Amino acid sequence: MRHYFFLVVLFLAFIQCKESEGSANMNTSAQNSIQHAEGFSIEKYDGFSVVKVSNAYPEAKNDYTYILHKKGVQIPDSLKQFTSIEVPIKKVIVTSTTHIPALESLGVENTLIGFPTTDYISSEKTRALIDAEKVRDLGSNQGLNTEVILDIQPDVIVGFSVDGDLKTYKNLEKNGQKIIFNGDWTEKTPLGKAEWIKFFGALYDLDEKATEIFNSIEKEYNSVLVLAKNAKTQPTIFAGSIYEDQWFLPQGDSWAAYFLKEANGNYLWKDSKGTGSLALSFESVLDKAKDADFWIGPGQFGSIQEILNSNPNYIHFKAVKNKNVYSFSTKKGKTGGVIYYELAQNRPDLVLKDIVKILHPEVLPDYELFFFEKLK
Amino acid sequence: MPLTKKQNLLFIILLLVMVFLFLVNISLGSVSIPLKEVVNGLLSQEMSKESWEIILWNFRFPKAITAILVGIGLSMSGLLMQTLFRNPLAGPYVLGLSSGASLGVAFVILGTGFLPTFISSFFLSNYGLILASSLGSLLVFMAVLLVSKKLKDTMAILIVGLMFGSFTSAIVSVLSYFTSAEKLQKFTFWSMGSISNLSWNEISLLSLFVIFGIGISFMVIKPLNALLLGEKYAQSIGINYKKTRFLIIIATSILAGSITAFAGPIAFIGLAVPHMAKLLFQTSNHFVLFWSTLLLGAIVMLCCDTIAQVPGNDITLPINAITSVIGAPVVIWLLVRKKRF
Amino acid sequence: MSKQNFTIQTQNLTIGYKSKSETITIAQNINLGLEKGKLIALIGENGIGKSTLLKTITGIIPPLQGEVSLLHKSLQSYKPLDLAQELSIVLTEKLPPSNLTVYEIIALGRQPYTNWLGTLSKEDTIKIEEAISLTEIQHLVHKKHDEISDGQLQIALIARALAQDTSIIILDEPTTHLDLVHKATLLKLLQKLTHETGKTILYSTHDIDLAIQMTDEMIVFTPTQIVQDQPCNLIQTGIFNTLFDTEHLTFDATIGKFKIK
Repeated sequence: MRHYFFLVVLFLAFIQCKESEGSANMNTSAQNSIQHAEGFSIEKYDGFSVVKVSNAYPEAKNDYTYILHKKGVQIPDSLKQFTSIEVPIKKVIVTSTTHIPALESLGVENTLIGFPTTDYISSEKTRALIDAEKVRDLGSNQGLNTEVILDIQPDVIVGFSVDGDLKTYKNLEKNGQKIIFNGDWTEKTPLGKAEWIKFFGALYDLDEKATEIFNSIEKEYNSVLVLAKNAKTQPTIFAGSIYEDQWFLPQGDSWAAYFLKEANGNYLWKDSKGTGSLALSFESVLDKAKDADFWIGPGQFGSIQEILNSNPNYIHFKAVKNKNVYSFSTKKGKTGGVIYYELAQNRPDLVLKDIVKILHPEVLPDYELFFFEKLK
Repeated sequence: MPLTKKQNLLFIILLLVMVFLFLVNISLGSVSIPLKEVVNGLLSQEMSKESWEIILWNFRFPKAITAILVGIGLSMSGLLMQTLFRNPLAGPYVLGLSSGASLGVAFVILGTGFLPTFISSFFLSNYGLILASSLGSLLVFMAVLLVSKKLKDTMAILIVGLMFGSFTSAIVSVLSYFTSAEKLQKFTFWSMGSISNLSWNEISLLSLFVIFGIGISFMVIKPLNALLLGEKYAQSIGINYKKTRFLIIIATSILAGSITAFAGPIAFIGLAVPHMAKLLFQTSNHFVLFWSTLLLGAIVMLCCDTIAQVPGNDITLPINAITSVIGAPVVIWLLVRKKRF
Repeated sequence: MSKQNFTIQTQNLTIGYKSKSETITIAQNINLGLEKGKLIALIGENGIGKSTLLKTITGIIPPLQGEVSLLHKSLQSYKPLDLAQELSIVLTEKLPPSNLTVYEIIALGRQPYTNWLGTLSKEDTIKIEEAISLTEIQHLVHKKHDEISDGQLQIALIARALAQDTSIIILDEPTTHLDLVHKATLLKLLQKLTHETGKTILYSTHDIDLAIQMTDEMIVFTPTQIVQDQPCNLIQTGIFNTLFDTEHLTFDATIGKFKIK
């Protein structure tokens, strides 16, 4: 009799132990480790993290919550309703070239198995993988090739959406795929955008490395900021170009305008509200910017001659006459992808250095332009 | 027939209105330039701000000239088509010319996948589009000409022109279906027409064509009047019908083709203005209609462009939208008032 | 009849249509002579070939064989402008819609003589005025062509042909759509015109009795022959009885009219 009783107690104790091993400890309140980015937060718990994405796409009403857990870790019941992803992931599909540098700096680019329109990718390391046929082309981001995706079975798809049209993604989820939204491009500040490397860090269980990388970028950025503030002049700047009878320029709160301000430049439309583009007539731009010192970001033009060929009236701008026109569209990867679009978001320190070098060359005498090129 | 007093007066009024609208058109735009400055600029070329001088002479003046060229060219070809085909609904594009131009431009913008890169990148430049449009029009024009040599019946030519138009539109639709969003937008932009941003070179070229076309039109005033009695009577008073028809088709093609090449397809002007002229002057005499159509064409186009600029605002509306929205009610109003077609 | 008096002559004329595949002959060996100052009617049953004959005489279609001469020159040799100065037509088809006034219609008759722009010279204006007074339509001159009656329009078109100042005017069934009063007015006008201006006027018609009364000569187009002669002579030959192949009609020579049996 006593033996049975002892066995039962042992048995019960054993079950208790097992449960407490599996159930995660939710008692410690975790700190969100993200400072600059407003679109996501990471809360680390024992064995798993809770990633919340609040700006998956513009006007997104819902937050997306993802539970990133190590293998074998059981998720508390209250969190079971959210998408759970086992980390570190081994096979990934990303959907924007801005995701590529994050993978590369974490050293995990070889987990990339698919990408929509691989020609856009400029970075050499990943291009080598594409050439070795390790990365499948998935068509366009609006119409991802579902069949191929189901065939290559990624652990997770890092998606993004411009307009909230999630039809393809919903379709993939129905077929058992895991989607995690990356809203880095909606961030308002450069450091905010760059901080999304921690998002990827969490996916690969490389949080410390990601934090390290980000911190060094932040440090460089801030030191250049100080140098720029001490510059003696504040040159006037205009941007954009004519497309189909309308001149599109960045609005005052946009990412591009932000850099111009941080670099201690006087962007002539800095007071315009909004984060998108203004559509103006050539007349209006000429009227305001005829005597501006610099033209930064003249659309797709690759040379001064191209500018004048497209419309001889550009010659009336002082910046064109003095050839102070700087563009980032000329530096491209092997297959025509513009490097700026891929890397700039992740390296705001380099972007800031470029612009400071353009506006105040005396502040960074030994630095050479990375993204931008002076048009000839 | 000598002009009546009323007609003379109307001509003087129209001339004054045209000059007035020209001044209004160059004074108004996205940038507000005071009228005094504009007058100074015209007279002595000196204005308070250098950017205003540039805007006046390099943007607004060329645009106004283009508006006049487009207005007179399309209206004249509309008049020719309406008399030749005895059809009030005929316009400069019944021969299928703008459809041909659309086809040429569509191939170049939408079908770049089919062309080798150096050809497609040339064509996407300004002159390339002009060339593509002209080639497209030329193709349709030659087809229509070929057919007209075989056909005695003029009405059949009208139908052939419309059929060519449908055919080319169908091809353009197919190309649009398979293309990317940016290319489609670029093509749509071309289809909306634009009279801004023509260089002085391009304007000179365009005026050559327009003047040539108007010149031919002037030469056929007498046969056009004869045609008012019908083909049989016209032949009996000595008109060489085939030659007249040929000249009319050539004049129309040069006018409509060149204008479409430089400014894209501008709708409605060619159809509406001859009616306005006929209704205002109450005559079918092509000598009177020639000059009144010219003046009214310029006036209407200047007016539409001024509106399209949405003065004081940075938005500009596409010119096609304005010509259609303004043109249709005006014709209806004139019809209702005068009660005689 | 001396040769000089003929405006139009046909010699061994064969009329018809020729296409690539076939030739249709309507009538052969037609010999006609239309003199100055004569009013001549062309009659025949429907479909017999009157239009074809008129088209051949006016040069719209070529003869299959034989010749048509206008003022002693071959019709084919005339340039369009020269032809227009000698031969004018009046049709019954409706004019296309337009704002043309009666004066403008008549003025268009002067096109063979005006300059390249169509400006009217003093002489042109005089001829137009003459045509207006001959046809007595001064009161209609400023009206638009769709504001007047069919009969008045008919007269206006005749005035136009008059202004064209040709040696011969050819009318295609001018009396067909008019009431009796207007038929009479029209024929009296045509008669007056030939007498006062010396022009040759040829018209086709179905009003045979009126033609017998009013014309100087008639061209009778029967299934077997084409005969040109004065009306009284034609009655005597009894040709009118062979005109129609029907038992319902008979020609009464005493009154010069057809009677229904």
